[in-house]
Amino acid sequence: MKKLSAASKAYLVLVFAVLYAPILYLIFYSFNSGGNMNNFESFTLEHYQAVFDDSRLIVILINTVIVALLSGLIATVIGTLGAIGIVSIKDKKMRNTLLSLNNVLIVSPDVVIGASFLILFTMIGVKLGFASVLVSHVAFSVPIVVLMVLPKLLEMNTSLIDAARDLGATKRDVLTRVILPYISPGIFAGFFMALTYSLDDFAVTFFVTGNGFSTLSVEIYSMARAGISLTVNAISGLVFAITVLVVIGYYFINQRTKSAMAEGQR
Amino acid sequence: MRDLLQATIAIVILCVLLFVAAGQMQSKGNAGSKDTLTIFNWGEYIDTDLIKKFEQETGINVIYETFDSNEAMLTKIQQGGSAYDIAVPSEYTVESMKEDNLLIPLDHTLIPNMKNLNADFLNLSFDPNNEFSLPYFWGTVGIVYNPKLIEDHLTFETWDDLWDESLKRKVFLVDGSREVIGMGLNTIGESLNIKDDEILRQATDKLITLSPNIKAIIGDEITPLMINNEAAVALTWAGQAADMMSENEDLNYAIPKEGTNLWFDNMVIPKTSKNVEGAHKFINFMLDQENAAQNADYVGYSTPNEAAWDIMDPEVITDERFYPNHELRDKLEVYENLGLEWLGKYNEYFLEFKMSLK
Repeated sequence: MKKLSAASKAYLVLVFAVLYAPILYLIFYSFNSGGNMNNFESFTLEHYQAVFDDSRLIVILINTVIVALLSGLIATVIGTLGAIGIVSIKDKKMRNTLLSLNNVLIVSPDVVIGASFLILFTMIGVKLGFASVLVSHVAFSVPIVVLMVLPKLLEMNTSLIDAARDLGATKRDVLTRVILPYISPGIFAGFFMALTYSLDDFAVTFFVTGNGFSTLSVEIYSMARAGISLTVNAISGLVFAITVLVVIGYYFINQRTKSAMAEGQR
Repeated sequence: MRDLLQATIAIVILCVLLFVAAGQMQSKGNAGSKDTLTIFNWGEYIDTDLIKKFEQETGINVIYETFDSNEAMLTKIQQGGSAYDIAVPSEYTVESMKEDNLLIPLDHTLIPNMKNLNADFLNLSFDPNNEFSLPYFWGTVGIVYNPKLIEDHLTFETWDDLWDESLKRKVFLVDGSREVIGMGLNTIGESLNIKDDEILRQATDKLITLSPNIKAIIGDEITPLMINNEAAVALTWAGQAADMMSENEDLNYAIPKEGTNLWFDNMVIPKTSKNVEGAHKFINFMLDQENAAQNADYVGYSTPNEAAWDIMDPEVITDERFYPNHELRDKLEVYENLGLEWLGKYNEYFLEFKMSLK
């Protein structure tokens, strides 16, 4: 890589400062004993203590993570297969129609999706709670996964598949040994996008939570009405820490894949 | 392929572990009770110690959920899907829920602690004889201001102080047609529930003369702006003002002497309730002298519980900004349900006023 000029370095620093400053500011004050975000009095862990003392909040935090992981996983499976399906369609018109339908779901407002899910669930008599939240999160994540996987599939050289076939690979072999490994970066990217979408979704989730099952976004939203208390800062700090851990995990997976590939080439 | 499989397995294992952890934490809270009560309340609107106390006293397991607006709550209750035993709507929502047949009448014999409530807050127009609702917290609409940022002579004892020339571009208003048009009606000495085009016209014209002083018409963002000394004067609700004042000691709240709106959040039992008996127990529990005092102390809003006033900090109770004296209380007016047609007119006049801003 070429060395960056001083100007571009400064620009980079500026961009990252803008991106991270609010989060760091928030986390910084989560350690404030003063009880507000006006001035920092002294270091304390009492707000974190308050989060851990409130078992309801912890359950909600865990619920949020479970829903994010599971919905991400399910959406990734469905979305990946969907993307492969779309690419394999020969009829151009049909393919574009399917793609447009997929994109419509991405741009349609969350409120509309949430309200329609609420109506659907109550109509068919599903009890609101974990299942309804999971299903709706899967639903709005699938189109995103499709969109993340598609470019990888399109850039793949079709002669790879033909070659595999010529060498006697079955349909299943082609899928598991050629296509999936090739598009796996797209799959991982899709999963992580679905994960973040699920973590921060408020509008859809609000409509479909119920019977004691709630997620952080919904909880924080109603807490914030009475002014942001430092407990909110502390939870946000925790969520940020979890996110950082996930990203580090993703990095290691990537590293491993790369070194495994390098080994395979040798 | 191996990575994909490994990652999948790792995620599944993690989820199972988290499930077990969540299950463990939940079961710790409700050891062996089958009786549950689902409560739907505003965020940060109860001292959670009281929920624990209620669970211990009655053996009922409480599921507590929160919402952030009357309309959002109403949508979820109308649709069903979740059985709420208690909800806490504001008075105008109580009225519309009553009309839509969404409420179960209260059995007053099961709520002996009703006697603790101050008579001023009972038997009001939105729910005569408190057939369906009992007040939880109450407050007023008034002016929160920062004396350090404005001239000394302004104390907002009268609405006219808002029209003072020194307040050019310093006034924030909440984005609510009834609050703002209501302020106009108050200044010309009319009822907040008036249904008369002529008078609404006058109120709007009066408001339009205020436009040079107005900086913005916004929602909940007023709270942080006032706390951080970025705004000088705002028309807002007493509860929000109390939140601001606890964060910024310079701030002050005033109820103009011409009168203003009196609002209530009320406990009701929605039709979807599956534990009507438990719901009554909870309402009675919250109206208990000590519990009400503890809750008011935690939440910081004004409680209608007269008995609780006796044991609360006298400084709080005698603070006429949040517990106005009887004389002023007579001038406060509760919003009535205007009906769609007149509500639409209020909105139109409000829009006209907003468009007059430069």
